[in-house]
Amino acid sequence: MYGRKGYQLVKDFASGEKGQLKPFNSKLFDETIEECNQNQRLIQFLMRKMEQEGLDVQNNRNADYYGALVHHLSLIRNKRCLMAYVHNRADIVRDLGWRVGLELPPEIQEKLTTLEKEYFKNHSAAIKSYMGKAGIDLNVVSKHSFHPQRILNFLFTWWAVLYYYNTRVINYSVVFAVGLKDMVPPKDPYIKVRVVGDIDDGIVMSDKTTNFARHSMHFLKRTDAEPYIARGQMEELTG
Amino acid sequence: MASSSDMGSADFESLSSTSDVELLKRAWRNEKAAPEILPYEGDLVERAKGQIELVEENIEAYVENGIDPLVVSLYQMDLDRTQFLLRSYLRVRLLKIEKFMFHSLKSEEAESRLSEQEIVFARRCADDLAKHFEESVLRKLPENYQSVLKQSLISEVDDMVPEPHLDTFVACRSKSHFTLNLYEEGESTQTEEMYRGDLYFIRYKIVKGAIESGKMDLI
Repeated sequence: MYGRKGYQLVKDFASGEKGQLKPFNSKLFDETIEECNQNQRLIQFLMRKMEQEGLDVQNNRNADYYGALVHHLSLIRNKRCLMAYVHNRADIVRDLGWRVGLELPPEIQEKLTTLEKEYFKNHSAAIKSYMGKAGIDLNVVSKHSFHPQRILNFLFTWWAVLYYYNTRVINYSVVFAVGLKDMVPPKDPYIKVRVVGDIDDGIVMSDKTTNFARHSMHFLKRTDAEPYIARGQMEELTG
Repeated sequence: MASSSDMGSADFESLSSTSDVELLKRAWRNEKAAPEILPYEGDLVERAKGQIELVEENIEAYVENGIDPLVVSLYQMDLDRTQFLLRSYLRVRLLKIEKFMFHSLKSEEAESRLSEQEIVFARRCADDLAKHFEESVLRKLPENYQSVLKQSLISEVDDMVPEPHLDTFVACRSKSHFTLNLYEEGESTQTEEMYRGDLYFIRYKIVKGAIESGKMDLI
């Protein structure tokens, strides 16, 4: 039946978790395209048949005309399904660009095609260029603040509540948590932090010097603590 | 005759409602709640940027002069909040542009709502996406069906362009007393009186004009 493969493709996309990608289904994709081409061949065959019978293609409404019409409608439906599939995946790729930054972790990368990776690069460059021109940093995570190994040691309560049901998903959302810096309005200028990683001794903070022994807790300015939190050396204590 | 305290509070309100931070907050709230992109407040953004830089310099000067750290941290907090407003405003606009890429570039009217850098960004985004579509899907399709904007060559309008949903319901509050035309021009003109401070939950299309002229605010 015409159009079934397109429908399956869209369902395949919709069955994934919202906001997360499944691996690109190239088999179904190629089959749908093949169906489109088949539709086109049949349209041309039917139109030629009508012309051979000496009938005017535009105005004559016989069985061949309606056959060609059905093929045409099936073709544009398949086109819509294919475009929707690619478009929605591209939306998620763009979203990743905002939240995760430039470096995509391998578990996300294996789900993208080369074209999608290319699109991701182009889009990140466009964002960067806009920020450069506007003169404002929109807090998109850069390469340097992302260290997967260290970050995997954390639990940030805000994303943990949202995403806490699947280990695979936790890996994803840990990555997102780092990127969500400054996405919520700043509440308090000072926050409680605990040192988790190794920080060199004798770091000078803006208003006091502190000794960052492991597992020690401090009450620091948010702006001072943020780079350490992003690098995974401190964690914020809420509640 | 209003009492002197009323006059005082009215003055304060009108004064604070015209401060840049208040204007920025209003622009940010409207932008966040509206389904389509609103006209760009270029002057406001420029002034806000200038003020942020000024306050940053002041804070550095205060820290050097050894002013009470509590006062400095208060200024810092205020600065953080204003910076957040500005960044979030620009971010929300960019996200809306990304969502309705082709639509924003289609008409003169839509383009006039974007700042220059946003237009450059939108064009670049649209080119990237069109290229992505072409390479993954459209090249493999038969010839008459290879357009990004139209379903096929037979289509008369650009039917593959997603448009913002102007029919969504929004919560809004009116700032002054005026009458609102509940239906489109030409249809039955049922009007509604909007009094100051009234809260409404209404389709965006109807209040679009009022929001742009400043008579209503989205919440």
